[in-house]
Amino acid sequence: MKFQIEDVTVYFPYDHIYPEQYAYMLELKRALDAKGHCLLEMPTGTGKTIALLSLITSYVLSKPHNPVKLIYCTRTVHEMEKTLAELNLLHNYQTTHLGDRAKILAVGLSSRKNLCVNPRVLAAENRDSVDAGCRRLTASWVRAAAAANPNVPTCEFFEEYERAGSSAVLPPGVYTLQDLRAYGKKKGWCPYFLARHMVQFANVVVYSYQYLLDPKVAGIISKEMQRESVVVFDEAHNIDNVCIEALSVSVRRQTLEGARRNLNKMRQEIEKFKATDAGRLRAEYNRLVEGLAQRGNLALTDTWLSNPALPDDILKEAVPGNIRRAEHFVHVLRRLVQYLEGRLETENVEKEGPVAFVSSLNTHAGIDQKTLKFCYDRLHSLMLTLEITDTDEFLHIQTICDFATLVGTYTRGFSIIIEPFDERMPHIPDPVLQLSCHDASLAIKPVFDRFQSVVITSGTLSPIDLYPRLLNFHPVVSRSFKMSLTRDCICPMVLTRGSDQLPVSTKFDMRSDKGVVRNYGRLLVEMASIVPDGIVCFFVSYSYMDGIVNSWNENGLLKDIMQHKLVFIETQDVVETTLALDNYRKACDCGRGAIFFSVARGKVAEGIDFDRHYGRLVIMFGVPFQYTLSKILLARLEYLRDTFQIKEGDFLTFDALRQAAQCVGRVIRSKADYGMMIFADKRYSRHDKRSKLPGWILSHLRDSHLNLSTDMALHIAREFLRKMAQPYDKAGGSSSKTLLSQEDVEKMSDGNFNEMLY
Amino acid sequence: MATRHLIKRAKYKTTAKGSGIPGVLEMTKNKIAFKPNDPTSVTMINVDFRSIKGHKNTKEGSSNPPLINLVLDQGGSYIFEFENFSDLQVCREFVVNSLAKSGEGLIATSDKPVVASHDEQLSTAEMELRMKLLQENSELQKLHKQFVLGNILTESEFWATRKKLLDGDSSQKSKQRIGFKSSMILDTLPLHDARTNKLTFNLTQETKYQIFALKPAVQQAFLNLVPNKMTEKDFWTKYCRAELLHYKRNAMAAAAEAAEDEDLVIFLKDDDILASEARRKIRRVDPTLDIEADQGDDYMHLPDHGIFRDGSKEITESQHELYRRTFLQDLNRQGEVVLEGRTIDVELDNPTNVAEALAQSRQESDATAKEERLYRTSRMTEMEDLQAPHDHPFTPLCIKDPRDYFDSQQANALKTYDDTRAGTEQLSCSLNSEEAYGFLRRSISEIEAMGLSAHMVRPEVALTVINGLTQNISSTKYQLGKNVHESVLDGLPNTTKEELLHYWTSIQELLRHFWSSYPITTSYLYAKTEGSHVKNLSAAGGNKGIGSLRAPPAGFSPCSSYASGSRCCFSTLRVGSAKENGKGWRETKWICLGGVY
Repeated sequence: MKFQIEDVTVYFPYDHIYPEQYAYMLELKRALDAKGHCLLEMPTGTGKTIALLSLITSYVLSKPHNPVKLIYCTRTVHEMEKTLAELNLLHNYQTTHLGDRAKILAVGLSSRKNLCVNPRVLAAENRDSVDAGCRRLTASWVRAAAAANPNVPTCEFFEEYERAGSSAVLPPGVYTLQDLRAYGKKKGWCPYFLARHMVQFANVVVYSYQYLLDPKVAGIISKEMQRESVVVFDEAHNIDNVCIEALSVSVRRQTLEGARRNLNKMRQEIEKFKATDAGRLRAEYNRLVEGLAQRGNLALTDTWLSNPALPDDILKEAVPGNIRRAEHFVHVLRRLVQYLEGRLETENVEKEGPVAFVSSLNTHAGIDQKTLKFCYDRLHSLMLTLEITDTDEFLHIQTICDFATLVGTYTRGFSIIIEPFDERMPHIPDPVLQLSCHDASLAIKPVFDRFQSVVITSGTLSPIDLYPRLLNFHPVVSRSFKMSLTRDCICPMVLTRGSDQLPVSTKFDMRSDKGVVRNYGRLLVEMASIVPDGIVCFFVSYSYMDGIVNSWNENGLLKDIMQHKLVFIETQDVVETTLALDNYRKACDCGRGAIFFSVARGKVAEGIDFDRHYGRLVIMFGVPFQYTLSKILLARLEYLRDTFQIKEGDFLTFDALRQAAQCVGRVIRSKADYGMMIFADKRYSRHDKRSKLPGWILSHLRDSHLNLSTDMALHIAREFLRKMAQPYDKAGGSSSKTLLSQEDVEKMSDGNFNEMLY
Repeated sequence: MATRHLIKRAKYKTTAKGSGIPGVLEMTKNKIAFKPNDPTSVTMINVDFRSIKGHKNTKEGSSNPPLINLVLDQGGSYIFEFENFSDLQVCREFVVNSLAKSGEGLIATSDKPVVASHDEQLSTAEMELRMKLLQENSELQKLHKQFVLGNILTESEFWATRKKLLDGDSSQKSKQRIGFKSSMILDTLPLHDARTNKLTFNLTQETKYQIFALKPAVQQAFLNLVPNKMTEKDFWTKYCRAELLHYKRNAMAAAAEAAEDEDLVIFLKDDDILASEARRKIRRVDPTLDIEADQGDDYMHLPDHGIFRDGSKEITESQHELYRRTFLQDLNRQGEVVLEGRTIDVELDNPTNVAEALAQSRQESDATAKEERLYRTSRMTEMEDLQAPHDHPFTPLCIKDPRDYFDSQQANALKTYDDTRAGTEQLSCSLNSEEAYGFLRRSISEIEAMGLSAHMVRPEVALTVINGLTQNISSTKYQLGKNVHESVLDGLPNTTKEELLHYWTSIQELLRHFWSSYPITTSYLYAKTEGSHVKNLSAAGGNKGIGSLRAPPAGFSPCSSYASGSRCCFSTLRVGSAKENGKGWRETKWICLGGVY
């Protein structure tokens, strides 16, 4: 359908539109007009993505003099695939209605591991070895050597791509990773470098958060994005965690041992070069004297993870004299490693700020702050000079240099925590030194500064006023949308008691109680017997899930559960989890029905949808609080309290409830879908916990559903499922429209929009 | 009744290939006689039907000449070649009937329906199936008794219209395999007796199969080791020992034991076959749920980057990781196996066979359509209720209350019925007593004038009555719930009603056979419709069926039988004749009417 939002003609690929989508587009359009940032919370299952994509593409179409590029960030690769599939649908619609004018280029970008088509490189198991394998074939010195000696192997796809030169371009269209690979194979061009090249010209780029937020990656990929871009962070409720992780480094014993090996290797290399090609080292020295830490224009293939510090904080000055010479630099690193080893030999937990750490480093090892700051760039330069291709072997020393650069650059917002062992396993010594970032606004600040509009959107951004504080920005539009439902297709319940009327909870003192475990099990058995197709269960942690499944097995409850449905479980092995998910879907498709056990904060909770028959019921066993004894968490809470005046308890509850809401929100895809949500913990009935849930869940949580026992929940579930099985009027009753047709939308633009909506 | 006597030209042959002796084949109720044309020939056959065990004949349309082979009880056979297939058919019919009768004679007292063993070449299984069907369905049994044993239809004709019954049942038996239980993994685990602290492993053939299916490495090891290196018993003992170590969840002990016994390693460490299979499968996984690709894109979690110890990550003892297999992994694996279902069709007696068959099936099962996957993802991305529905090849079923559905169906049927008879019934119902009396008097005077002829009620009238009564049977008989509209039928006494229903089903059956012969493409079919059937119909209907209506039972108003309109019967006929053109339609009407009377 086609309609007007103020001065923009929106092309929307469906015949109908939800009022929420219309309102969402309206707010988004205003934010774009104002060239400012915005924060939009819209319930899951109301078609956020498609509304956003169609508005922005239509916006560009109606203002051709002002080409805006869309940078769409997803958390995961599979979400990227979903987004591109929706974009493809939209693009097909727009080109059939507008012809070639609507043609755009949309590219999904991922790592070499997901894009490479060279079978020799792909044979490597993990991401780092794929990267190194690629470098081994494509680094500029390797290619130079291959030009002289045809026996040196190169990558035929990359060579072909280089040969094609500037004619190697992608024709307009929407390219998923699969499409890129297929196109690369067909043309014989390397899809990875082709995609990276095309990112500059594409109208829409879809990639993962870290390509913008993590300075190590953003430095190479997103350097050249123009200011007139709209950056969208989808499913952004966890964005603060991503930001702090991007700037955190941890050093363990294994890291230091590895770093030592790396340094020895480098030393040997330096000796070798001194004997054979001393000129090269001298050239590097001269370059560093001139103040060029980086070697000007690097060949595309030589780029490596870039500086871990944020672009604004990197010094544009000459490398200090004491590390200009290669052997001096190696020596400095050696002293650093030695110092860190000394610090790891501690009996107690230590916590200090970066300033204290740097000064102690200066007194003990004689390395000053400025030297630390240049460590990363100096290492990078040295590795290029030494022509090291197997970067995966040198990750350890790289970590040390990351650490050094970060600790030398930042004086606030970080702390260094040294723990001799894990609290949960005090008998196993495993010392770790962690540089942890507490301030999420640091990593995202360059993004807000650089781009004219940044859109942060998710189904769970409650409380919506907290995010601007955490991320330190000022949105021009900040809005939370309610969900208008044709029928009550979501049914949240709070289960506080088991069938024996005893309270259930995952509180620390109750979680291992046999009665609680049994009550949780009985709940699942009963639900499995009445709910059709798929059921998803979320537990608070892997270890809790492991424990509870084993005890269900011992007391026979698991057998009862499996009599009704097949059981699949998320494990820490991603391959296994992916296959389990695939099988889970198969089981739901074929009608056998299945239960998926998953973990809140896990990979599955992060981005897998359990919509339609893949999830008719979600059970959240317990409240997914973070591990509160974690030193890092305590340090972060302290920082939040001191800088933002956010109370510890509030933040912990907020964090737990956004995870819970995220887990249960995965069941709804559209208004035609339906699903139940059970919060199985007595703590959810308390107002301070419950009120942190997003509004669209709260508005369907009836007072009578706040304090249920298993049998009452069962009764409600039966009633609900029966009600949902009835046919209904999709457009909603006469009182409030929940589905708008073309005419409705046209009527609405006369200004009585709000009237129609509420 | 069917022909009692049959004479055909035929050639007598000793073998199917020979030229044979031309002559005349004469069949009577009990005997078969063959007289050669050449009076000098010595070949004269005169046998009793009772000495004939069975018969075979060539199929119409095959390249062979029309032959019939009568197999004798004592061994040996007579082969006759006919001039054409229609002769053969007629003869075959005759033989079948005669044989049936002679067979019936043998077991005349038996009440069980006899399924003729002498029809075509039936396997015993099929025979049993037919027997079973007849026993289960008394109505069918009645029909069978009436038509097949009454020589109206042949056995094969009777069953030909019920292919679905036969097929459905047999396919159910042969094709459907029983899948695995959803909780099958629990069968393969040891039972723990807390009182005596004993673990019991219970290995049956079935559990061995399940173990092989769950753990390809064990199956592979079995093929490699048994019986060359160890006996089957040793193998399973070792397996149980490994499981015991597992059960204890002591990775350290497992590692120690594995170091001592190299065979034990196979059971303890991760399954390589599964791992490689997983790598293969992961490439075909739906990209919208591929978490693995995600890991490949994650530069945030480079080793030692990001936050290492904030409690969200779990801790495992990295040592002896090799010997750690969790129950959760096993559960995932069992889910996969259950979904795959049983892939082999081997008796479970011998574990070696099972292991081999499994290995084979594993190699075979490697094909999934990528297109289907793409289709699924594209459908997944669409928002269903924003879009006009996709064209479904079916109308969505929407039944709120089953009674509503069936009532509406019946209302439809009644409506068409009303249309066809154009309200005549109402007229008949509104007859007052005087008119009824008048009718009665008239018929009495008719009888007085003509005497009590065979046809007390005029044929048209009888037909109308039976049609009027049975019109709604098809809907009312299978009605769920109570019929709101009381039909005339319910007013009849039970015995009459049942009788009536029986005649109705009989007529339906015959009509079905009749119409299934259309279009008449072969002479045999012509003969079938023209000859025996029509007569049979009259035999079935005329003799008893309509006859019983001669004396209307109490409460049944004869007046309604005068309701004019033989059109009623057309609506029944029309069922079968939808494809017929107008001309054919008129003809058939005649045949039918002539048939019944």
